[in-house]
Amino acid sequence: MTSAIQKWSRRLFMAAAGGVAIAAAAGLSAHAQDAEWQKVVEAGKNEGKLILYTALVGQPSTKQIAAAFTKQYGIDVEILEARASEIRERVRVEQAAGRFAADVMFTSEGQTMLYDTQDKSVDPLPVTPNSGKINDRFKLKVPMASVMTIPYGIMINTGLVKPADEPKSWKDLADPKWQGKILSDDPRAIGAGYLWFFSTYTKIGEDYVKKVAEQKLVFTRDQRESQRRTARGEYSIYMPVIMTDFSDLKGLPVKFIIPEEGVPYVLYGNVLLKKAPHPNAAKLYLDFMQGPVVQKIYAGLGYGPVLDGMTEGLPADVKAISEAKLYGTTDTTRQNEMLAKSKDIFK
Amino acid sequence: MTIIPNRSLDDIAETTPALGGNAISRAFSGGSLGRWIGLLLLILLLGFLTIYPLAMLLYGSLHSTPPGMAGEFNLNGYRSIMTTQNLIVLANTVGISLAKTIPSLTIAVFLAWIVARTDTPFRGTLEVLITLPFFIPPILTAMAWGMLANPQVGVINMLWRGMTGAQEPLVNIYSYGGVIWHMCQYSIPFLFLFMVDAFRAMDPSLEESSRMCGASRLMTFRKITLLLMLPVLTSSFMLSFIKGIETFESALFFGLPAGIKVITTDIYESINHRATPDYQYATSLSFAILGLMLLLVVWQWALLRGKSFQTVTGKGFRPNVMELGPWRWVTFAVCVLFFLISVVLPVGQLLLGSFFRFFGFYTYDMLTLEHYKAVFNNSEFWRAMGNTMLLGLLGATATMVLGAVVAYISIRTRWRGRSLIDGMAWLPWMMPGMVLGVGFLWAFAMLPGPLPIYGTIWALLLAYIALGTPVAVRVMTGAYHQLSYDLEECSRVHGASWFQTMWRIMVALAWPAFAVGWVLTFFGIMRELSASILLYSVGSETLAVVLMKLWANGNAEQVSVIGLMMMLLVIVFRWVQLKFIKARLSKL
Repeated sequence: MTSAIQKWSRRLFMAAAGGVAIAAAAGLSAHAQDAEWQKVVEAGKNEGKLILYTALVGQPSTKQIAAAFTKQYGIDVEILEARASEIRERVRVEQAAGRFAADVMFTSEGQTMLYDTQDKSVDPLPVTPNSGKINDRFKLKVPMASVMTIPYGIMINTGLVKPADEPKSWKDLADPKWQGKILSDDPRAIGAGYLWFFSTYTKIGEDYVKKVAEQKLVFTRDQRESQRRTARGEYSIYMPVIMTDFSDLKGLPVKFIIPEEGVPYVLYGNVLLKKAPHPNAAKLYLDFMQGPVVQKIYAGLGYGPVLDGMTEGLPADVKAISEAKLYGTTDTTRQNEMLAKSKDIFK
Repeated sequence: MTIIPNRSLDDIAETTPALGGNAISRAFSGGSLGRWIGLLLLILLLGFLTIYPLAMLLYGSLHSTPPGMAGEFNLNGYRSIMTTQNLIVLANTVGISLAKTIPSLTIAVFLAWIVARTDTPFRGTLEVLITLPFFIPPILTAMAWGMLANPQVGVINMLWRGMTGAQEPLVNIYSYGGVIWHMCQYSIPFLFLFMVDAFRAMDPSLEESSRMCGASRLMTFRKITLLLMLPVLTSSFMLSFIKGIETFESALFFGLPAGIKVITTDIYESINHRATPDYQYATSLSFAILGLMLLLVVWQWALLRGKSFQTVTGKGFRPNVMELGPWRWVTFAVCVLFFLISVVLPVGQLLLGSFFRFFGFYTYDMLTLEHYKAVFNNSEFWRAMGNTMLLGLLGATATMVLGAVVAYISIRTRWRGRSLIDGMAWLPWMMPGMVLGVGFLWAFAMLPGPLPIYGTIWALLLAYIALGTPVAVRVMTGAYHQLSYDLEECSRVHGASWFQTMWRIMVALAWPAFAVGWVLTFFGIMRELSASILLYSVGSETLAVVLMKLWANGNAEQVSVIGLMMMLLVIVFRWVQLKFIKARLSKL
């Protein structure tokens, strides 16, 4: 018995000693990581500037976030905005000509894959204090530090659609009663319409999409103006609508509907551009965008945050959109195939 | 075309003046070496501005990948555009452009004649007012016409239904007619501006002679007025037709919902809406169009070669106007009707909408000044305004000087190489803007390091000069065609140097056209987006870039406020310009 107790004591001691050693090592490691990160912070502050390219054009939140970043780190942010294809070509040509002008690009997951595999214009992502804290579903294979999701749903004109008739799901749009009454973003070209097509085609099926095609959709490629056209009564339904725009249209006879199946979404995030002139400031920015300050800003606007627990205390309507079930997004590797399908169905 | 008394260029010997002067003067006026150096410098400049970006695009069309990426040379781009579908789209595009150009030119000629050659009341005011639509961003007039003439709840159709009880709409802007009408909104004032000074510079004695010989007013207009205007008319037709082929906004806004496809929407889609931008396809298609358009230029050269269109000679004339009697009120009514339809209807929507929270929702509780406040408090807008004004002033002036020199050499000399520079100056007009923008990006970014152009405001300036040169050259070509060679020779015979002659005769007599070209170029710069978005850098944003950002974010009302401000600026510019023209004419 004594021997057994001694054995256990020895095991316990060894285990305790091992545990202490591991804990100490972990502590030391964390400490070392903190020290490393502190070096990045100091270096970033010394660089003093960050050049940000963004494909999210005209969003006031970009400046708001840049101001918050400058306030926290004292690093100025210069922002250059252009549409996705334009800004991608700029980056590609600049790097091909040896002009490494930008540090960080704010873009979509799909574009990031092209930056990475075709243009080879991005660097691997750094590990930052906040990068490990985001929801696992947003930790990607492509080198993009996920920041937020843009959700898409259905918009109706409340003057033309009675409450009892309101579509509640994507499937409801196939109801013949909506024939000729739906304004749709063009699904035959990369954009919101194509996102809807991709998501519903893969989740509901080809028959559903073909039924919707029989509804004589009227196509458009100007999302914001299309919202106004629907509000003015040209059409009963506009789809897919950027759900976060609901606050801009308050006061108009429209309603934003989160479909039962969920919202197709585009995941946006930051990539670290090759040979960034301010690499440490760029790392700080990547980390900052995944931290609670920025995540709360985006959640407050209705975007889906990638960090959990950011929607607490938000107004109910904003919270509902920000927390909306994510339905699906596009797959860049299948784009040519799916665009061809869409063009075939929506001739 | 038989009553032109002056000599044509073919009648006079090659001008080889032998005057002294400084080095620059000698470069153009001195012996053949100086002239060759001057011409070479001009070719180099035009080559850099036009051939170099086009060469980059040509590379893009012949290479499997854009510049800077590993790939191979092939003809896949050209092979891929050779489809039946593209031929149909091309035919559709040409049809739309012709359907737009012919009525636009007819109306613009008529309006220019009314304003410049008749005693129609208030024609000075009308001259400013009927050109206003040209200066408004197309996306704004598209939105306004969308509200006015959509088949469901458009204001015009609601009124029509209310008045007649009809169920069917009177007009549908989302149709071929809508696309063509929206294009006409821009081409009529553009063509009017382009031609009005040529009408004004006509010697009325030619028309009077025709009338005295028994020709009717209509016959005089057809046989004298129009024929004398042939250089301006053919240039106008080509500028307008080519622009019609390259049109984008109207087709995208009104054509897409109706299933109407044009070449530029195909190009736009290949760059912006494919998984990977297909620059080889876009550039190949653009070069195919450029090739077709070049045929038009050759046609114009053939048409005008060896003919004289001089109306401004050494013999003094008073630019009299035709007295229409009571008919002047009819012409006045025509101008007012055009003004009401093309300006008051859409601009009224924009003006009204700018005072409400949302366009189209005109209730008391929606009244607001927040859009004006937002614009005035937008520091980025003011910075962009400053940049654009600077670029506009510098760019328009430089472009017009370049255009005047090119046009002078092309029209007033028989130097070898003059056709080459005239052709080079045409090229940017024949390449769709969105593709040419990419050409400038490739060209300037790929310049070797010691040439610090890319990423600076100079890249924008150079692109604007290249983009504006075709119009500048055409405007000045029209003006120079009208000036008699006697004037220059008289000046030289009386001892004036080449530059004195240029300043006292050629500039003095052609400056109204110069001023019109300047305004067209200036506001072209204010509106230019395709190259600006690819070349601007942080701090050098232009107005068009800011407008695009505001529009993309759904701030249509703020875009309208800026559009209205631009229009106000136009009115001031045009008013000052016309004051000067009147003062100048009174001295003639």
